[in-house]
Amino acid sequence: MTTEILEAVSNARRRFLSAVLALFSLISVIGVVYPVGLFLWPHRKKVGGVAVRSIKISILEVPIGEAKFVRFLNKAAVIIHPNEQEVLALSAICTHLGCVVKWNGGKKELDCPCHGGRFDIRGNVLSGPPPAPLASYKARVEDEYIVIEEA
Amino acid sequence: MSSLRFGPVEIKNRLAVKAFKAIDDRFGVKEILDDEVFEKIAPSHLNFWSCFGGISFFLFISQVVTGMLLMIYYQPSVSQAHSSVAMIMNEVPFGWLIRGIHVWGSSLMLITIGVHMAKIYISGIYKAPRELNWVIGVCLFLMTLNLSFTGYLLPWTQLSYWATVVGTETPSAIPVVGEYIRFVLRGGEEIGQMTLTRFFAIHVIILPFVTAGLITLHLMQIRRQGISGPL
Repeated sequence: MTTEILEAVSNARRRFLSAVLALFSLISVIGVVYPVGLFLWPHRKKVGGVAVRSIKISILEVPIGEAKFVRFLNKAAVIIHPNEQEVLALSAICTHLGCVVKWNGGKKELDCPCHGGRFDIRGNVLSGPPPAPLASYKARVEDEYIVIEEA
Repeated sequence: MSSLRFGPVEIKNRLAVKAFKAIDDRFGVKEILDDEVFEKIAPSHLNFWSCFGGISFFLFISQVVTGMLLMIYYQPSVSQAHSSVAMIMNEVPFGWLIRGIHVWGSSLMLITIGVHMAKIYISGIYKAPRELNWVIGVCLFLMTLNLSFTGYLLPWTQLSYWATVVGTETPSAIPVVGEYIRFVLRGGEEIGQMTLTRFFAIHVIILPFVTAGLITLHLMQIRRQGISGPL
């Protein structure tokens, strides 16, 4: 009789200690995973910075027949000034696999250095693997400035 | 076989048991775990002071893990080193904690190694056949000192800069070869980008690898010679 009671008490104690062990293990795991997770997560302030929603640059920075690369919405974009009346703004990210296209001043087109995709000044695909035209943004001339906004 | 026993803990969850068995059938980990951890009987003569080698080992692991985390934000260039450390301390969430553990851990590691060496020396455990393991232990102590020295320069503060000026000037007092040692340590005549890059490589790759190798030898000899401690 006494041994049965002792055994029951000992089992209750064992279950209690196991629960305490499990609880402390859980707290320890959270105590490591939570700070390390936050530490590793790229934080907005330094990586990338605040997204610029509109850009205003002097028209002198983009001579006629030339292009200028800028950061817009945290991504590469290009401003093209093909003639007196017109300014164009395109995403500079190739629609094939995400490389940044380069301005080809001689042919007046945008070429992708990765797999040879070619785009005209309006972003339409001329040749190569890109499946879609480059995204375009609203661009207009205001006095002596070019203003870029989301389309 | 529907349950697993690890020392005092019994696991009954059928899925967990099945998953563990699948691994154990191939790797035989249960046998090793039982022999080395759960069923291992620590000799009765061991006491509080016997634990400091194991604590030093734990601190080394902690230094490796926090060091890997710090490397994610640290930039080893003269212009960026200090600002990247300031960023870890002030902007990265829990960066102060990770770097704090690394900085304090390095000092703590030297203290625990000191206690460990004192215990081994006072108890006479270095005597035959364990003399060579004592030598390996002294090498490990020197590795830790060098890790501390090279790590000290990395934040590129006034304190760390001038400490490295003094620290690399010291060996130049050695006759004949002294000047060359200083030249090699600094990677040039003066402390600059070359010194920082050198110290960074030594601190994060070369010394940790050498230390880990020496620790392996140290522990293997402990097992072989039978200084079985509560690791």
